[in-house]
Amino acid sequence: MPSLLAVFDRPGSVAEVAHRLRNRGYADLEVYSPAAFPELDDVFDARPSRVRGWTFVGGLAGAVTGYALTIWMANDWQLMLGGKPFSSIPPYTVIAFELTILFGGLMTVLGLLVVGKLPSGRFGKRAKSYSARFSAEEFGLVVGCRERDLLEVDALLRDGDAKEVTLVEP
Amino acid sequence: MTPPPAMSVAERIRPVAVPAEAGDSKVNSDILRVMEGVSLRYFGLLAIVMLVVAWAAGVWALQVYQGLGLAGYSGPVFWGVYIVTFVFWIGIAHAGTLISAILYLLRAKWRNAINRSAEAMTVFAVLTAAQFLGLHVGRLWKAYFILPYPNQRGLWVNFKSPLLWDTFAISTYATISILFLYVGLIPDLAIARDRATGWRKLLYTALALGWQGTTRQWKSHTRSVLHLSGLATPLVLSVHSVVSWDFAMTIVPGWHATIFAPYFVAGAIFSGMAMVITVMVPVRRIYHLETYITEYHFENMAKFLLLTSWIVSYAYITEYFVAWYSGVEAEQSAFWLRAFGPYWISTWVMITCNSIIPQLLWFRRLRRHVPTLFVVATFVNIGMWFERYVIIITGLSREYDPAVWGVYTPTWAELSMLAGGFAFFAMLFIIFLKLFPVIAISEVKELAIHSRSHASEEAR
Repeated sequence: MPSLLAVFDRPGSVAEVAHRLRNRGYADLEVYSPAAFPELDDVFDARPSRVRGWTFVGGLAGAVTGYALTIWMANDWQLMLGGKPFSSIPPYTVIAFELTILFGGLMTVLGLLVVGKLPSGRFGKRAKSYSARFSAEEFGLVVGCRERDLLEVDALLRDGDAKEVTLVEP
Repeated sequence: MTPPPAMSVAERIRPVAVPAEAGDSKVNSDILRVMEGVSLRYFGLLAIVMLVVAWAAGVWALQVYQGLGLAGYSGPVFWGVYIVTFVFWIGIAHAGTLISAILYLLRAKWRNAINRSAEAMTVFAVLTAAQFLGLHVGRLWKAYFILPYPNQRGLWVNFKSPLLWDTFAISTYATISILFLYVGLIPDLAIARDRATGWRKLLYTALALGWQGTTRQWKSHTRSVLHLSGLATPLVLSVHSVVSWDFAMTIVPGWHATIFAPYFVAGAIFSGMAMVITVMVPVRRIYHLETYITEYHFENMAKFLLLTSWIVSYAYITEYFVAWYSGVEAEQSAFWLRAFGPYWISTWVMITCNSIIPQLLWFRRLRRHVPTLFVVATFVNIGMWFERYVIIITGLSREYDPAVWGVYTPTWAELSMLAGGFAFFAMLFIIFLKLFPVIAISEVKELAIHSRSHASEEAR
């Protein structure tokens, strides 16, 4: 299936056109953006990123590990200190807290890789439609469509403030 | 209606009007230029700091051979310059997370110009600090004893000890700081990859993980940075609190105080911000980054300095008040000796640099006058090192029983290590400047594109 690549200057225009295309039933869309813009976040999926689940699971696992590790080890090798119980929760909370942060952080980064599908592509190869312009200050919108729809999509893109539209061969 | 043949469609769609690589973003070229080429001066500076690092490494080797006697440790002072410098560098490490995480959560956009360099400084400061722990324990090859690992003796570490909390806090902080720096770097590495050649292209291609700035990638990236900020904010507060408990959990006069955690955290942010200013002033000037790091940024950092200077000064006053009000003779004499005992110079250097000199920043003209700010920040760096020296050394040298009082003087070996620490930090930062973008390009660009978009919408 061929696709059309449109180049824009403003993130708002990309978001508008992408919404219009989706309403017309064009689902094979991809946006390239040089920076993070909230208006583009919800173009394809309005739900919050699933990274939050990864962070939560990591944090919870860290807290549980922190308490389990300290309580088990203190009871496995019992060292009487100032008459304190072997399972002393207040000092172990420090360890549990640190491990909550550590595991939460590690799982957040793992979540970024999984949800963001990184690393993407083969080493050194990039998508045909991607170019260094999109890591400069321009925005790219790629629309995959049937050949007979190319003209309609082209018109929609140009109406939506695209400064260039080019055909990307499959 | 019969669809037109594909070729005619392709013909009707105009070809690319502008060459794909034409007209790169000014932000890209301005910031990536810092990484290009190395001058003789750059090599000269790098060679000097590497020589100092090599000297310190040699002294370390000698200390391993001869033992900790090479340091000035003698009863009753067994925590000396190494621990002072460890606490100093951990404090420096706090500015990066403050600027990146806390100011990110508060949506303070001015952080964009300085967050990358502050994050890098955090990582380098933690790495520097960790070495001083290695130096202090002496028998470095047994340092792993602090970790809870299964062993044939069947014993575990003592989780009730603040020193173990510190191990967990510092290693967590180092890991999270490295992750924070790397995650923030990914989009900028892709920018560098798209423009680099040779070995740099390979390096950035590998590190950028195939980043293309798609919506899915940005969405997960933004969310990850938000979560890492949310995690790093309590972490940064906990790390120096835990470091302070290394002292506060003991019964040494002058250390055993509940104020220590917030006092240390404020001091850490104070010294970290001062170090960011000290480093960024020359970097901005040498690499002509005045467009990106403006007087407005420096003024905001100066306000932070002034605020934290007052918090630290308030803590100094509170310490003296509590010592007097407690009626405990050992506490009262400890604080009297701080100001008028054998270490009086350190105490007055501390007060002058941390409480008196920063008052210059009440004046807006001085806050925006970069050379003045640089001088003030340098004094704060000196003062904050002396603050730790005062707390640790005067505390230990004058405990309860005058019969065991003593005087500690740092040896040439310890001073070599102190210089080596600064050189190691400088070396990492100087290398970083040439390998990675020193300003967060995509964040600066976000602001630039936003203002351009708004301007064009208003023009319509």
